[in-house]
Amino acid sequence: MRSAMKGYHDITGDGGSNVLQQVIDLEGRIAANLAGVRHLVAVGSGKGGVGKSTLTFHLAALCREAGWDVALLDADLNGPSQARMAGVAGTAPLPSDGGRLALPRARAGFGVFSTGSLVPEAEAVEFDSVSHGASHTWRATREFTLLSEILERAEWGRLDALFVDLPPGAERVVQFAELLGPRASFVLISIPSDVARGVVARSAAALKRAGRRIAGRIENMQGYACSGCGEVRPLFRTTEGSAAGAAPALDLPLLGSVPFDPELARRCDLGIPVTERPDLPSTAALKETARALMRAFEAER
Amino acid sequence: MKFLCVPCDAPMKLAEVAPPDRGSLSVRYACPECGYEMAMLTNPFETQMVQSLGVRIGLDASTAGAPAAADEKKDGGKCPFAGMIPGLTEAARDGAGDADAPVAWTPQATARLESIPSFVRPMARTGIEKFARERGYPTVDEKVLDEARDFFGM
Repeated sequence: MRSAMKGYHDITGDGGSNVLQQVIDLEGRIAANLAGVRHLVAVGSGKGGVGKSTLTFHLAALCREAGWDVALLDADLNGPSQARMAGVAGTAPLPSDGGRLALPRARAGFGVFSTGSLVPEAEAVEFDSVSHGASHTWRATREFTLLSEILERAEWGRLDALFVDLPPGAERVVQFAELLGPRASFVLISIPSDVARGVVARSAAALKRAGRRIAGRIENMQGYACSGCGEVRPLFRTTEGSAAGAAPALDLPLLGSVPFDPELARRCDLGIPVTERPDLPSTAALKETARALMRAFEAER
Repeated sequence: MKFLCVPCDAPMKLAEVAPPDRGSLSVRYACPECGYEMAMLTNPFETQMVQSLGVRIGLDASTAGAPAAADEKKDGGKCPFAGMIPGLTEAARDGAGDADAPVAWTPQATARLESIPSFVRPMARTGIEKFARERGYPTVDEKVLDEARDFFGM
């Protein structure tokens, strides 16, 4: 081998396909398609089962009710729940001009993309592959490519906020931060349990280390809203004196606390937004939280 | 990935991409100075990794614009990688869709459908054809697409 042989960085392009440029071009097209979006609201936690999707949907509905133009991207491709909550399961996006995607609208009046619109709940979300038995090596890449395509092609238009409902996984919040770019700001959902708070603290640490913005946190399931007496009662017991010790403090602005409410859960199953039941204790809490979220994001500008 | 002709110290240029064969791509490169040729033959794992990036492999790939389509049909069989190679999707288009479907598509409506992400396409096609059938439209054209969009409030 000659010592003066050219190295990788001495050669421009790759001789034909320009694969790297294709990826860079896609990032540019995503940025252009999101140019009309004022706030990218990434709702995550790291922990599963804390109510991320429920809060994301109802906060989007309440922000819309309060005057914001919003849309919702269900980034949980494998466990999508927004299609059901929005009442658009089985209603696929349609082809619009220029390869764009017209999104189905939730009953609350905003556009939603969710793989739950495309794949029936009884079926697994699958991608074509010839690399059998090795999906652990390529699947995450394929999923982020699909999300990139949706970000690039959906007709977001002019929005005050695009809510992005993230899947669980403390390490994944950073992957989504990199996908969404520096304009995204995160809202982390916790519940009053040290197990959950510990995972949320880990997600917050990962985001801070990556230099990403966290607008605040929301404490979900903060008590139980009894549909019989209307009172909010404690749901989780304190864990003082546990061997593992208390979870690290979540040093994040608290945007709101929302009680566990069976009626809220029922409405999610039925695809009816909480905006239609302003009398519920959870609605009042969610409204306050939505206002705090709007203030926090407006203050970031 | 880049290829270098060591004797000439010249970057090799992509010359041809053969159609996918059982998950393998055959990509031929040539040295612009001495004409030496070599081929890169990918295994299915490598093919899948590239396909997962949503990029195209080929001479006009960088100007293709849209990400790869992944569910085109070729030679009567489902090839998830035809969309990686510019030209193959167009060649395969005649075979796309359900031959038994009573609803026809105009070329313009087909082009609109083909331009959206491949993952979304089958359900979008099904939804539009159902919409057309329910209204007795024998053909899906751009007017039907717009009407469906209005109907669904999109």
